[in-house]
Amino acid sequence: MGAYTDKIREIAGRLLKDCQVEMVIGFRKGSMPMMNEPCFVTRADAVDQLVWDGSCGINLANYLTGRTEARIGVVAKGCDSRNIVTHIIENKIKREQLTIIGVPCTGMIDKRRLKNLAPGEVLAVEEDGERVVVRGDGFETVHQRREVLQANCAVCHHRNPVIHDELVGDPVSEQTEVDRYADVRAIEGLSAKEKWDYFEALLAPCLRCYACRNACPLCYCPTCFVDEAMPQWVGKSQNPVDVRTFHFLRAYHCAGRCTDCGSCERACPVGINMRLFTKKLEKDAYEMWGWEAGLSLEQRPPLDTYRPEDPEPFIK
Amino acid sequence: MTCIKIDKQLWAQGLAAAEAQYRLFGPVKQGALYQFDALAAGQTPDLDGPNTRTSARAVVYPQSEVLFEYSLDSRDPEAHVLKETPAPAPRAALAVRPCDAYSFVLVRRNFEAPDVKDVYWLRNYAATVFVGLACDRPCSTCFCTSAGCGPYHEEGLDVLLVDEENHYLAKTITDKGAAFLQTAGWRTPADPEAEARIAQRRSAAEARVVSTVPTDRLAQIPQLELYAANFWQDVAFACINCGTCTYLCPTCWCFDIQDETRGNQGIRLRNWDSCMFPLFTLHGSGHNPRGQKVQRVRQRFMHKLKYYVDKYGDGIQCVGCGRCVQYCPVNIDIRRVCELMNGYGQNAACKVA
Amino acid sequence: MGVEPGRVHFSWISSAESTKFVEVVKQVTEAVRQLGPNENFVKKELKVA
Ligand code: SF4
Ligand code: SF4
Ligand code: SF4
Ligand code: SF4
Repeated sequence: MGAYTDKIREIAGRLLKDCQVEMVIGFRKGSMPMMNEPCFVTRADAVDQLVWDGSCGINLANYLTGRTEARIGVVAKGCDSRNIVTHIIENKIKREQLTIIGVPCTGMIDKRRLKNLAPGEVLAVEEDGERVVVRGDGFETVHQRREVLQANCAVCHHRNPVIHDELVGDPVSEQTEVDRYADVRAIEGLSAKEKWDYFEALLAPCLRCYACRNACPLCYCPTCFVDEAMPQWVGKSQNPVDVRTFHFLRAYHCAGRCTDCGSCERACPVGINMRLFTKKLEKDAYEMWGWEAGLSLEQRPPLDTYRPEDPEPFIK
Repeated sequence: MTCIKIDKQLWAQGLAAAEAQYRLFGPVKQGALYQFDALAAGQTPDLDGPNTRTSARAVVYPQSEVLFEYSLDSRDPEAHVLKETPAPAPRAALAVRPCDAYSFVLVRRNFEAPDVKDVYWLRNYAATVFVGLACDRPCSTCFCTSAGCGPYHEEGLDVLLVDEENHYLAKTITDKGAAFLQTAGWRTPADPEAEARIAQRRSAAEARVVSTVPTDRLAQIPQLELYAANFWQDVAFACINCGTCTYLCPTCWCFDIQDETRGNQGIRLRNWDSCMFPLFTLHGSGHNPRGQKVQRVRQRFMHKLKYYVDKYGDGIQCVGCGRCVQYCPVNIDIRRVCELMNGYGQNAACKVA
Repeated sequence: MGVEPGRVHFSWISSAESTKFVEVVKQVTEAVRQLGPNENFVKKELKVA
């Protein structure tokens, strides 16, 4: 991973020095293990802040929404690049504004998994190729990288950036063999009542902090429907009906747009896997229209195009 | 001040006795999380985990609390009368960490100001006895000792429990605490050296808190200078304005009042709010004085680390529990921001890219 | 997400197809009546926490 960091710094330094961009958006080392902080750099002599490792799971496309700088450099792994494509299609940013520094990705580390596996507080995590070394007070454990990946990364099909102007390393091989939708299928197999109960338990700890929504590059509405006050659509208390309404509706707003980047799940302070909702819709988009969000700048998304062959067995 | 020895064998039994008179709250494991929550009948709190994800704040100040009930039915002679919900029965918050307990001392200044009293907060607070658990294994993110309290801090507690292998030492701090121990039937006095041992353990635990924040200069830097400091854009960039930091924080106190009706019946409730949400400051006119993220982030830190400091002259509005440090999804670290603020104008520590 | 199949119906009906409209409305109301009221999205209690 050190090689990526060096290369990112080199590219960012060059872009800034040559005034090709006004700022570079990337990650700097966090103050906690497995937590890097999105940041921006505007001077070539400050690029040494930038880092890359398996803890850059926040989606940087989220930081481009509505930016007005004429030239922005942005570091992007596979999923970030797909959300950048979606942003361009949805007119949230212009392609000409961006210099995309693509990162062929080998997946992000699941911080919750590692913390739960560790016998004590995790104080440091080091990545060394396929090995992930976890250290804490009086223990050191070694994991295989692919065993501690975030769930979405373990089944990711687009680890290489789909658009980029620079690339920090050779493309990595895509994981074509993985079963992407095992978790969704398991839920699809439940009865209506079982599903209801499953989601009730899933959402029980939700605080309605909206970190999941705010970490999501798709959720850029100036006023989200849950925040709307005139009229007010959703109650604001901890009543489970309101909590669920928020989650269901947010998921629908992401249909055909979600890239399964996992930022939402990663951001949740209480570890809820609300990604199951968006993933079901992502699966539907794939199976009904052969659509995967953010792969092409030319093609329009299925929900704003009509094709005579669109599936419609649900219409009687 | 007396010290009681509670044999761990008698723990569950004592709690069962206390349950008859107190509603019990404490740390419980829910899935992979430790949460501070109401205990079910016969349930004992889980004392093995780190400090709970959500703080003990909700015992006194729930995320959603019904203040009034009312009827809109014109046939009801009491239609449109706001009826206050009944005051809570006595409750005990068990195994509260000293930092969380101290947070109530800070928050009380807001809810029990000389001119205005928040009767709902106060009646919940008065109904609660705080039974603390001294903290022998601070996390790497804890900085309580430089935030006005510490792992054995007693302010805000009625009883302090200290874990000594086979038994707890219960140091009685207030009469309220003594009454709780009585009800639980724990009466065996501890040996005469107990207090000395507690003091020793206290120093050892304090030494284990390795993280600190500097706060010595916060009061003397002029407010407007800090407000206009050059680091806010850099600090705020990553923030996604979720309310995680404010919802997990034991010392955040802002709320929003809502009416909810169904048919002819209605309730007035108050819900936690957060200065991180744009809606928080949105005026009826549509104008928003804190319309930008950087303004909201600045508000959070200025409130905790400057306005509060200036207003009450007793330190920062933070107890150093480290929750916001651990759970901010983008790693905005109050310790770093405090360092930037405290060092403002003094050195080049304010690294701005 | 736990909404029973049969609670939601879709149909193409032209403004000229009045008989089809009546048919469909009958079918839908019958199907939904069989499922009974949808309590899931009704706030059970006004009280919270
Ligand atoms: S989803 Fe794919 S591209 Fe995105 S972080 Fe995971 S492995 Fe990388
Ligand atoms: S981030 Fe988690 S707690 Fe916050 S609103 Fe989303 S699901 Fe709820
Ligand atoms: S500001 Fe952060 S560290 Fe301080 S009391 Fe609140 S959550 Fe804890
Ligand atoms: S938790 Fe972090 S990202 Fe969320 S509002 Fe607080 S500082 Fe911003």
